[in-house]
Amino acid sequence: MTETKTHEALVGGQFGARAAAYLGSAVHAQGADLQALAGLVERRSQAQVLDLGCGAGHVSFHVAPHVGAVIAYDLAPEMLDVVAQTATKRGLANIRTQQGVAESLPFQDARFDYVFSRFSAHHWRDLDAGLREVARVLKRDGAVVIIDSISPGVPLLDTYLQAVELLRDPSHVRSYSCAEWIAALARAGLAPIATSHFRLRMDFPVWTERMRTPKVQCDAIRALQRATSKAVTSYFNIDDEGSFDLDIAFMHAAPERG
Amino acid sequence: MTDHPADSVDPKLLEILVCPLTKTPLEYDAENQELISRAAKLAYPIRDGIPIMLPEEARRID
Repeated sequence: MTETKTHEALVGGQFGARAAAYLGSAVHAQGADLQALAGLVERRSQAQVLDLGCGAGHVSFHVAPHVGAVIAYDLAPEMLDVVAQTATKRGLANIRTQQGVAESLPFQDARFDYVFSRFSAHHWRDLDAGLREVARVLKRDGAVVIIDSISPGVPLLDTYLQAVELLRDPSHVRSYSCAEWIAALARAGLAPIATSHFRLRMDFPVWTERMRTPKVQCDAIRALQRATSKAVTSYFNIDDEGSFDLDIAFMHAAPERG
Repeated sequence: MTDHPADSVDPKLLEILVCPLTKTPLEYDAENQELISRAAKLAYPIRDGIPIMLPEEARRID
Protein backbone atom coordinates (compact mmCIF):
# COMPACT_ATOMS: atom_id res chain seq x y z
CA MET A 1 0.00 0.00 0.00
CA THR A 2 1.44 3.36 -1.00
CA GLU A 3 -1.40 5.36 0.49
CA THR A 4 -4.03 4.74 3.12
CA LYS A 5 -7.06 6.86 3.82
CA THR A 6 -9.93 6.78 6.25
CA HIS A 7 -13.25 5.35 5.13
CA GLU A 8 -14.79 8.82 5.46
CA ALA A 9 -12.11 10.32 3.18
CA LEU A 10 -12.83 7.55 0.68
CA VAL A 11 -16.58 8.21 0.69
CA GLY A 12 -16.05 11.98 0.55
CA GLY A 13 -13.59 11.62 -2.32
CA GLN A 14 -15.81 9.23 -4.29
CA PHE A 15 -18.88 11.45 -4.05
CA GLY A 16 -17.44 14.96 -3.80
CA ALA A 17 -16.07 14.74 -7.31
CA ARG A 18 -19.36 13.36 -8.68
CA ALA A 19 -21.86 15.77 -7.13
CA ALA A 20 -23.18 17.13 -10.43
CA ALA A 21 -23.59 13.60 -11.83
CA TYR A 22 -25.83 12.67 -8.91
CA LEU A 23 -27.92 15.84 -9.27
CA GLY A 24 -28.66 14.88 -12.89
CA SER A 25 -29.01 11.12 -12.37
CA ALA A 26 -32.47 9.87 -13.38
CA VAL A 27 -32.18 6.89 -11.01
CA HIS A 28 -31.64 9.32 -8.12
CA ALA A 29 -33.81 12.30 -9.15
CA GLN A 30 -36.99 10.35 -9.94
CA GLY A 31 -38.98 7.56 -8.41
CA ALA A 32 -42.21 6.54 -6.78
CA ASP A 33 -40.28 6.34 -3.50
CA LEU A 34 -39.67 10.11 -3.60
CA GLN A 35 -43.39 10.67 -4.23
CA ALA A 36 -44.14 8.37 -1.28
CA LEU A 37 -41.88 10.45 1.00
CA ALA A 38 -43.60 13.64 -0.15
CA GLY A 39 -46.95 11.96 0.57
CA LEU A 40 -45.87 11.10 4.12
CA VAL A 41 -45.14 14.73 4.98
CA GLU A 42 -48.17 16.26 3.25
CA ARG A 43 -50.01 18.60 5.63
CA ARG A 44 -47.09 18.46 8.09
CA SER A 45 -46.22 22.09 7.54
CA GLN A 46 -44.37 22.39 10.86
CA ALA A 47 -42.36 19.17 10.54
CA GLN A 48 -38.59 19.20 11.03
CA VAL A 49 -36.88 16.77 8.64
CA LEU A 50 -33.36 15.36 8.53
CA ASP A 51 -32.20 14.11 5.12
CA LEU A 52 -29.40 11.83 6.26
CA GLY A 53 -26.76 11.23 3.60
CA CYS A 54 -28.58 13.63 1.31
CA GLY A 55 -26.20 13.29 -1.65
CA ALA A 56 -27.38 15.70 -4.35
CA GLY A 57 -30.48 16.49 -2.27
CA HIS A 58 -33.33 14.76 -4.10
CA VAL A 59 -35.19 13.82 -0.89
CA SER A 60 -34.80 17.35 0.46
CA PHE A 61 -36.15 18.88 -2.76
CA HIS A 62 -39.21 16.60 -2.74
CA VAL A 63 -40.21 17.08 0.90
CA ALA A 64 -39.19 20.73 1.51
CA PRO A 65 -42.31 22.27 -0.11
CA HIS A 66 -44.51 20.45 2.45
CA VAL A 67 -42.63 20.87 5.74
CA GLY A 68 -41.24 23.47 8.13
CA ALA A 69 -37.55 22.87 7.65
CA VAL A 70 -35.14 20.33 6.19
CA ILE A 71 -31.54 19.73 7.19
CA ALA A 72 -29.65 18.21 4.26
CA TYR A 73 -26.78 16.33 5.89
CA ASP A 74 -23.85 14.68 4.11
CA LEU A 75 -20.18 13.86 4.45
CA ALA A 76 -19.19 15.48 1.14
CA PRO A 77 -19.09 19.31 1.17
CA GLU A 78 -19.22 19.39 -2.65
CA MET A 79 -22.59 17.57 -2.50
CA LEU A 80 -23.82 20.11 0.05
CA ASP A 81 -22.77 22.97 -2.25
CA VAL A 82 -24.83 21.44 -5.06
CA VAL A 83 -27.80 21.04 -2.69
CA ALA A 84 -27.58 24.65 -1.44
CA GLN A 85 -27.26 26.07 -4.97
CA THR A 86 -30.12 23.95 -6.32
CA ALA A 87 -32.35 24.80 -3.32
CA THR A 88 -31.77 28.52 -3.95
CA LYS A 89 -32.47 28.09 -7.66
CA ARG A 90 -35.76 26.30 -6.88
CA GLY A 91 -36.80 28.80 -4.22
CA LEU A 92 -36.66 26.22 -1.40
CA ALA A 93 -35.55 28.57 1.38
CA ASN A 94 -36.25 26.08 4.20
CA ILE A 95 -33.40 23.70 3.27
CA ARG A 96 -30.21 24.07 5.30
CA THR A 97 -27.07 22.03 4.77
CA GLN A 98 -24.78 20.51 7.36
CA GLN A 99 -21.66 18.38 6.96
CA GLY A 100 -20.86 15.36 9.11
CA VAL A 101 -20.92 11.57 9.46
CA ALA A 102 -24.00 9.41 10.05
CA GLU A 103 -22.56 7.66 13.09
CA SER A 104 -22.14 10.86 15.10
CA LEU A 105 -24.86 13.43 14.43
CA PRO A 106 -24.28 16.99 15.68
CA PHE A 107 -27.96 17.50 16.56
CA GLN A 108 -29.82 17.71 19.86
CA ASP A 109 -31.94 14.77 21.06
CA ALA A 110 -35.54 14.57 19.80
CA ARG A 111 -35.15 17.38 17.24
CA PHE A 112 -36.75 15.81 14.18
CA ASP A 113 -40.23 14.62 13.21
CA TYR A 114 -38.81 12.64 10.30
CA VAL A 115 -35.43 11.22 9.38
CA PHE A 116 -35.21 10.17 5.74
CA SER A 117 -32.18 8.38 4.34
CA ARG A 118 -32.06 7.31 0.69
CA PHE A 119 -29.23 5.35 -0.97
CA SER A 120 -26.81 6.22 1.83
CA ALA A 121 -26.66 3.53 4.52
CA HIS A 122 -24.67 1.06 2.40
CA HIS A 123 -21.77 3.55 2.76
CA TRP A 124 -21.90 3.87 6.54
CA ARG A 125 -18.93 2.54 8.45
CA ASP A 126 -21.16 1.45 11.37
CA LEU A 127 -24.85 0.82 10.66
CA ASP A 128 -25.78 0.24 14.32
CA ALA A 129 -24.17 3.52 15.42
CA GLY A 130 -25.94 5.39 12.61
CA LEU A 131 -29.34 3.92 13.52
CA ARG A 132 -28.78 4.66 17.24
CA GLU A 133 -28.19 8.27 16.25
CA VAL A 134 -31.35 8.27 14.13
CA ALA A 135 -33.34 7.02 17.14
CA ARG A 136 -31.72 9.64 19.38
CA VAL A 137 -32.52 12.67 17.20
CA LEU A 138 -36.10 11.50 16.43
CA LYS A 139 -39.01 12.76 18.48
CA ARG A 140 -40.95 10.04 20.34
CA ASP A 141 -43.78 10.36 17.82
CA GLY A 142 -41.39 10.75 14.90
CA ALA A 143 -40.69 8.31 12.08
CA VAL A 144 -37.79 7.21 9.92
CA VAL A 145 -37.78 6.01 6.33
CA ILE A 146 -34.72 4.21 5.01
CA ILE A 147 -34.51 3.59 1.28
CA ASP A 148 -31.51 1.60 0.16
CA SER A 149 -30.33 -1.09 -2.18
CA ILE A 150 -30.52 -4.42 -0.42
CA SER A 151 -29.02 -7.87 -0.70
CA PRO A 152 -31.21 -10.87 -1.53
CA GLY A 153 -29.67 -12.42 1.59
CA VAL A 154 -28.82 -15.75 -0.08
CA PRO A 155 -25.01 -16.14 0.21
CA LEU A 156 -24.57 -17.17 -3.45
CA LEU A 157 -26.24 -13.95 -4.62
CA ASP A 158 -25.02 -11.78 -1.76
CA THR A 159 -21.33 -12.42 -2.39
CA TYR A 160 -21.71 -11.56 -6.07
CA LEU A 161 -23.59 -8.34 -5.28
CA GLN A 162 -21.11 -7.09 -2.67
CA ALA A 163 -18.21 -7.91 -5.02
CA VAL A 164 -19.53 -5.92 -7.97
CA GLU A 165 -20.61 -3.03 -5.74
CA LEU A 166 -17.12 -2.84 -4.23
CA LEU A 167 -15.44 -3.03 -7.64
CA ARG A 168 -17.64 -0.23 -8.89
CA ASP A 169 -17.12 1.93 -5.80
CA PRO A 170 -14.42 1.21 -3.18
CA SER A 171 -16.42 3.20 -0.61
CA HIS A 172 -19.19 0.56 -0.69
CA VAL A 173 -19.50 -1.07 2.75
CA ARG A 174 -22.42 -3.49 2.53
CA SER A 175 -25.85 -3.93 1.02
CA TYR A 176 -27.77 -5.49 3.92
CA SER A 177 -30.53 -8.04 3.53
CA CYS A 178 -34.05 -7.23 4.64
CA ALA A 179 -33.62 -9.50 7.66
CA GLU A 180 -30.39 -7.70 8.62
CA TRP A 181 -32.20 -4.38 8.31
CA ILE A 182 -35.13 -5.39 10.52
CA ALA A 183 -32.72 -6.72 13.16
CA ALA A 184 -30.56 -3.58 13.03
CA LEU A 185 -33.60 -1.29 13.33
CA ALA A 186 -34.81 -3.33 16.33
CA ARG A 187 -31.39 -3.03 18.05
CA ALA A 188 -31.72 0.75 17.71
CA GLY A 189 -35.23 0.69 19.24
CA LEU A 190 -36.96 1.30 15.93
CA ALA A 191 -40.02 -0.80 15.09
CA PRO A 192 -41.06 -1.37 11.47
CA ILE A 193 -44.35 0.19 10.37
CA ALA A 194 -44.24 -0.94 6.73
CA THR A 195 -41.66 -2.31 4.33
CA SER A 196 -41.93 -2.49 0.58
CA HIS A 197 -39.63 -3.60 -2.19
CA PHE A 198 -39.04 -2.67 -5.75
CA ARG A 199 -36.35 -3.17 -8.39
CA LEU A 200 -34.36 -0.60 -10.32
CA ARG A 201 -32.64 -1.32 -13.62
CA MET A 202 -28.97 -0.30 -13.47
CA ASP A 203 -27.75 0.65 -16.93
CA PHE A 204 -24.11 -0.50 -16.90
CA PRO A 205 -22.49 2.46 -18.73
CA VAL A 206 -24.52 5.00 -16.73
CA TRP A 207 -23.99 3.13 -13.45
CA THR A 208 -20.20 3.05 -13.82
CA GLU A 209 -19.79 6.50 -15.42
CA ARG A 210 -21.69 8.12 -12.53
CA MET A 211 -18.97 6.85 -10.16
CA ARG A 212 -16.14 7.16 -12.74
CA THR A 213 -15.24 3.55 -12.11
CA PRO A 214 -11.77 2.91 -13.58
CA LYS A 215 -11.68 0.69 -16.67
CA VAL A 216 -9.79 -2.08 -14.88
CA GLN A 217 -12.65 -2.36 -12.38
CA CYS A 218 -15.35 -2.15 -15.06
CA ASP A 219 -13.56 -4.96 -16.88
CA ALA A 220 -13.41 -6.99 -13.66
CA ILE A 221 -17.17 -6.56 -13.12
CA ARG A 222 -17.86 -7.67 -16.71
CA ALA A 223 -15.53 -10.66 -16.29
CA LEU A 224 -17.27 -11.63 -13.07
CA GLN A 225 -20.68 -11.31 -14.75
CA ARG A 226 -19.55 -13.62 -17.53
CA ALA A 227 -17.98 -16.14 -15.15
CA THR A 228 -20.77 -16.35 -12.60
CA SER A 229 -23.48 -19.00 -12.46
CA LYS A 230 -26.88 -19.01 -14.12
CA ALA A 231 -28.47 -18.56 -10.68
CA VAL A 232 -26.80 -15.15 -10.38
CA THR A 233 -27.32 -13.93 -13.95
CA SER A 234 -30.97 -14.87 -13.90
CA TYR A 235 -31.69 -13.44 -10.41
CA PHE A 236 -30.13 -10.06 -11.23
CA ASN A 237 -31.40 -10.22 -14.82
CA ILE A 238 -27.91 -9.38 -16.16
CA ASP A 239 -27.91 -8.64 -19.89
CA ASP A 240 -25.13 -8.71 -22.51
CA GLU A 241 -24.14 -5.09 -21.75
CA GLY A 242 -23.80 -5.79 -18.02
CA SER A 243 -26.97 -3.94 -17.04
CA PHE A 244 -28.92 -5.57 -14.21
CA ASP A 245 -31.77 -5.25 -11.68
CA LEU A 246 -31.05 -4.06 -8.15
CA ASP A 247 -33.40 -4.74 -5.20
CA ILE A 248 -34.44 -1.64 -3.28
CA ALA A 249 -36.23 -1.59 0.07
CA PHE A 250 -38.43 1.21 1.44
CA MET A 251 -38.48 0.76 5.21
CA HIS A 252 -40.76 2.91 7.35
CA ALA A 253 -40.15 2.60 11.11
CA ALA A 254 -40.80 4.49 14.32
CA PRO A 255 -39.43 4.61 17.86
CA GLU A 256 -40.75 1.70 19.93
CA ARG A 257 -43.38 2.71 22.47
CA GLY A 258 -42.86 2.18 26.15
CA MET B 1 -29.40 30.71 2.66
CA THR B 2 -32.02 33.19 3.83
CA ASP B 3 -31.39 36.49 5.56
CA HIS B 4 -27.88 36.17 6.98
CA PRO B 5 -24.57 37.15 5.37
CA ALA B 6 -23.13 34.42 3.17
CA ASP B 7 -20.05 33.81 5.29
CA SER B 8 -21.73 33.66 8.73
CA VAL B 9 -23.45 30.67 10.28
CA ASP B 10 -27.19 30.30 9.81
CA PRO B 11 -28.66 31.11 13.27
CA LYS B 12 -31.42 28.49 12.83
CA LEU B 13 -28.74 25.86 12.32
CA LEU B 14 -26.76 27.05 15.34
CA GLU B 15 -29.86 26.52 17.51
CA ILE B 16 -29.97 22.79 16.94
CA LEU B 17 -26.27 21.93 16.65
CA VAL B 18 -24.48 20.08 19.44
CA CYS B 19 -21.02 18.54 19.74
CA PRO B 20 -21.15 15.27 17.77
CA LEU B 21 -19.01 13.54 20.43
CA THR B 22 -20.56 14.72 23.69
CA LYS B 23 -23.98 15.96 22.42
CA THR B 24 -23.49 19.07 24.58
CA PRO B 25 -24.17 22.69 23.49
CA LEU B 26 -21.63 24.65 21.46
CA GLU B 27 -20.41 28.20 21.90
CA TYR B 28 -20.18 30.31 18.77
CA ASP B 29 -16.90 32.20 18.52
CA ALA B 30 -17.71 34.72 15.78
CA GLU B 31 -14.24 36.26 15.75
CA ASN B 32 -12.37 33.02 15.11
CA GLN B 33 -15.27 31.42 13.22
CA GLU B 34 -15.32 28.34 15.42
CA LEU B 35 -17.87 26.36 17.40
CA ILE B 36 -16.44 25.50 20.81
CA SER B 37 -17.28 22.28 22.64
CA ARG B 38 -16.08 22.78 26.23
CA ALA B 39 -16.99 19.18 27.11
CA ALA B 40 -14.90 17.67 24.30
CA LYS B 41 -12.24 20.42 24.47
CA LEU B 42 -12.56 20.89 20.72
CA ALA B 43 -13.09 23.88 18.45
CA TYR B 44 -14.94 22.98 15.24
CA PRO B 45 -14.02 25.23 12.31
CA ILE B 46 -16.59 27.19 10.31
CA ARG B 47 -15.58 27.46 6.67
CA ASP B 48 -17.57 29.64 4.26
CA GLY B 49 -20.37 29.71 6.83
CA ILE B 50 -20.49 25.90 7.09
CA PRO B 51 -19.71 24.33 10.49
CA ILE B 52 -17.42 21.34 9.95
CA MET B 53 -18.70 18.96 12.62
CA LEU B 54 -15.92 16.40 12.26
CA PRO B 55 -13.70 15.76 15.33
CA GLU B 56 -10.68 15.07 13.10
CA GLU B 57 -11.04 18.58 11.60
CA ALA B 58 -11.41 20.22 15.01
CA ARG B 59 -8.72 22.08 16.96
CA ARG B 60 -7.77 20.84 20.46
CA ILE B 61 -8.28 23.46 23.15
CA ASP B 62 -7.29 23.48 26.84
